[in-house]
Amino acid sequence: MDFSQVELTSDQLVFEKEIRELISQNWTPNLAHIAVDHDRMPKSVRMEMSRRGWIHPELAVEAGGAGLGEIELEMITNLFDEYYIPANVSSSLLIPTLEKFGSQWLKDNVLPGIRSGELTTCLGYSEPDNGSDMAAATTRAVQDGDTWVINGQKMWTTWGNESDYVFLLTRTGAVEEKHRTLTMFLVPMNTPGVEATPVWILGGGRTNVTFYTDVVISDNYRIGPVNDGWSVMSEPLATEHGAGVVTEGVSPVNGSMGAGFSRVFQKLVDGAIQWAASRTMPDGRSRLEDPLVRAALAEAMLDLEMCWNAEGELGKPMSAEALAKHADKLADMAAPEGLLDFGVDGSIAAGIIASERQHAPGTAVYGGTTEIYRNNLARRLGLPRPY
Amino acid sequence: MTLVLRRNDYTLSDEQGQLVDMLRSLFTEQSTIDVVRAAEPLGFDQNLWSTVQDNGLLTISIPESVGGDGGGLVELVLAGIEIGRTAAPVPLIDHVVTMRLLSALKGTGVSIDALDWKAALAGDLIVSLAPISTWELGSQLVPSGAVAKAVVAFKDGAIILMTRETPAAQAQNEGCAPVAWWSPNDEDVLTTTLLEGHEAVDIWELAHREWRIATAASLVGLMAISSEIARGYALDRKAFGVTIAKFQAISHQLADIHMDVVTARNMTIKAAWLTENEPDFRPELAAMAMAHATRAALRSTAKAVHVHGGMGITNEADISLFYRKVSSWSLVGGGIRRDLDDISTAIDHRAQELVVTALTSSNR
Ligand SMILES: Cc1cc2nc3c(=O)[nH]c(=O)nc-3n(C[C@H](O)[C@H](O)[C@H](O)COP(=O)(O)OP(=O)(O)OC[C@H]3O[C@@H](n4cnc5c(N)ncnc54)[C@H](O)[C@@H]3O)c2cc1C
Repeated sequence: MDFSQVELTSDQLVFEKEIRELISQNWTPNLAHIAVDHDRMPKSVRMEMSRRGWIHPELAVEAGGAGLGEIELEMITNLFDEYYIPANVSSSLLIPTLEKFGSQWLKDNVLPGIRSGELTTCLGYSEPDNGSDMAAATTRAVQDGDTWVINGQKMWTTWGNESDYVFLLTRTGAVEEKHRTLTMFLVPMNTPGVEATPVWILGGGRTNVTFYTDVVISDNYRIGPVNDGWSVMSEPLATEHGAGVVTEGVSPVNGSMGAGFSRVFQKLVDGAIQWAASRTMPDGRSRLEDPLVRAALAEAMLDLEMCWNAEGELGKPMSAEALAKHADKLADMAAPEGLLDFGVDGSIAAGIIASERQHAPGTAVYGGTTEIYRNNLARRLGLPRPY
Repeated sequence: MTLVLRRNDYTLSDEQGQLVDMLRSLFTEQSTIDVVRAAEPLGFDQNLWSTVQDNGLLTISIPESVGGDGGGLVELVLAGIEIGRTAAPVPLIDHVVTMRLLSALKGTGVSIDALDWKAALAGDLIVSLAPISTWELGSQLVPSGAVAKAVVAFKDGAIILMTRETPAAQAQNEGCAPVAWWSPNDEDVLTTTLLEGHEAVDIWELAHREWRIATAASLVGLMAISSEIARGYALDRKAFGVTIAKFQAISHQLADIHMDVVTARNMTIKAAWLTENEPDFRPELAAMAMAHATRAALRSTAKAVHVHGGMGITNEADISLFYRKVSSWSLVGGGIRRDLDDISTAIDHRAQELVVTALTSSNR
C-alpha cells in the first residue's frame, strides 16, 4: 500500500521540460473545439514525438519506443492532458496482437512503422447492423489464392479517414456460426475500394462510415488463423476495457478509458469552480459561498474521487455515468451561461460545461456500452449469461 | 508548474493479509448471524467482546508508547471491514478510535486521570466518541454510547471527557446499534476538559477523520457481505423457469452493488493511508470515504433486499438484518450532508489553485 508522491529524478525533471518545450513549440490548443476523444494530434506533432520514441514510449528503443518506465508514461499522459493534446495515436492495444499473430512479412514491413508511430491504426469492429453484438459481423472476406477480397461496410470507424491501417473484423464463413467464422486483417486504408465518409457527433467530433468494395489484399495482412478472429481480437478488446489493470505503481487503477473521462471530469469541475468564483450573489457575496453551489460542487468532487478509485473494468462505466450526471447538474448550476459555447460572450472556462454535456453521452457508448460492461461484470461475478 | 504524480498502490502487505485472514476466521466463527440476532436489541455481545479482548484486537492500532501494538489506521480499517462483514455486535471501532485520540492527548502531556487507563486499554471499560461537534440539540446521539462509560467529545473549542457510572440508556433504533443520548449537562455525567485551543482542534479533527474512515470501513464490510448474499440468492431463486440471475434487471443491480463495494473499499483504504502518513494532504478524503460508503451502503443494501423479492423484507431474512444495520451505523455520525460540508472545503482550495487563465473567456 502506497499513495505517496513520486519524487521525480533529475532525469525525469529534464524529461518533463523537454516535453513541455516540444509541446509549446508545436502545439496551440484550439479550445473552441475540444473533442479530445475524437481528434488526433496533428501529423507534425506526431512525427516529432515519433522521432523521440514517445508514441509508444514503453517499447524498447530498438523497437521504436524510448524504453521508458511507468512514471515517464504517466508523465506523458498527464502533460498531454494539461495541454489538451488529443493523444489518440497510440496502437498499443494492437502491437502485442500483431507481434503474436502477424505474418512474418507484416512484422518486417509494417510493424516497425506502427511501433514508432509513423504509421497509425484504427479499429474496424462495428457495423451498421451490429455494434454490441460484434460476433454478428457481416463484412465478408473471401480467399482467392494468395489474396483476399473484402466487401462490406463498417460503422463508427473513428480515425478511419486519417489512419494508415484498419484492424478489420471480417466474416469468413456462415454468419450463423457467429464467433467461429470470424477472421482479422490489418487492411491498408489506401487500398483501392476503401472509403471513409464522416459521421459528426455530439460535441463536434468526427467518426466515419467506412465502405469496403472489392478490396483486394495479400494474405500477408491476415492476423491469426482463418476463422479464429474472435481469439485474436479478444486481447485488444480486453485491454481496451481495462481488464487486468495492475494496482501497483503510479498509473491510476482506473486504467481503462475511464481514466481519460475522469481527467475531463476534473476539467469540468474546474470550469464550474471558475464560474462560481467569477459570479456574485445578489447580496454581493461570491457564488462560492452559495450553499446550493457548494453542494453541487462537493458532490461532483466526491464522484470524481470515486471514479479514480474505480479499478479495472469498473473505471469506464462509472466514469462515463458520473461525467454525464455532473455535466447535466453543473450545466444547470451555471445556467444560463452553462449553455454557451467557447468564445461566446459570457461563456465559462472554454465552454467546457456546455461542451461536456454534449461529449458525455458518447462516453457511455463507444468502446462498449455501459450495459455491455455490466454484462461482463456480471459474468465475472459468476452469474449466468442473460436470459 | 511542475507535474505531481502519486502512487496508486492498494495492495496489502503480507502482514496485513495475515491480519485479514485471522480476523475473517475469528469473526466468521464467533460472530454468526445467530450471535448477532441474540445480541439485539442492545447490539452488544459480551462474549464476543471478551474474545476480541483476549485476541488482543483492541491494541492493534494503539501506539506502543501508551501500551499498544503500534499498528495504525490502515489496520483498523481492515478490522472494520471484517467487523462489518458479520455485523459484529462489538464497539471495537468507536473504542479504538477514541483510545487513539486519548493516546495522542497523552502524547502531548495531557493527563487523563478521570479515566482508568489500564481498564480502558484492556477494554474492560468501553470508551466512545461523539462525532458531531456542533451540538445543535444540546445532547448528542453517541455511537456505542449505550455500552460506554466514557465518551470523548469536542464542545466549545475544547476536547472534553464525559464519564458515567453506568452507560446511558439506549435510544431505540432500527439497526439495534448501541447508541445513546449523552450530554455534559446530564446530572449523571462527570465532565472534564482535556485540552483547549488550536492543538485541541487539530487533534479532534484528526480523530474525527479517523472515526469517519473506520466507520466507512465497517460499512464496506456490511455492503460486501450483502453483495455476496444477494448474489447467492439470485443464483438460487428461480422465476419463469430460470434462475433470476439470468435477468439483466437483476444481474445489473448486482454489478452496481459490486461497483459500490469496490470503490468504497478503495476510497477507505486510500483515505486511511493518506490520513496516517500525510495528514495535511487532501484532508477531505476522510469525509469523501464516509460519504461514499454511506450512500453506497444505503443504496446497495436496498438493492440487495430488492433482489430477494418479498423474502427480502422479512425480518427472518439475513439480508434485512444487514439493511437495518446500515441505517444505524452509517447515519449516527450525522449523515452525508455533514460530510459534503467538509468536502466543500476542497472547493475553496481548488479555487485558489486555479489561476483564472485564458480558459475564461468571460468578461461579465
Ligand atoms: C463516437 C463513437 C466512436 C466509435 N468508435 C468506434 C471505433 O473506432 N471502432 C469500432 O469498431 N466501433 C466504434 N464505435 C462503436 C461502438 O463500439 C458501438 O456504438 C457500441 O459498441 C454500441 O453498438 P451500437 O451502436 O450498434 O448499439 P447497439 O448494440 O445497437 O445497442 C443499442 C442499445 O442496446 C443496448 N444493448 C445492446 N445489446 C445489449 C445486451 N446484450 N444487453 C443489454 N443491452 C444491450 C446497448 O447498451 C444500447 O443502449 C464507436 C461509437 C461511437 C458512438
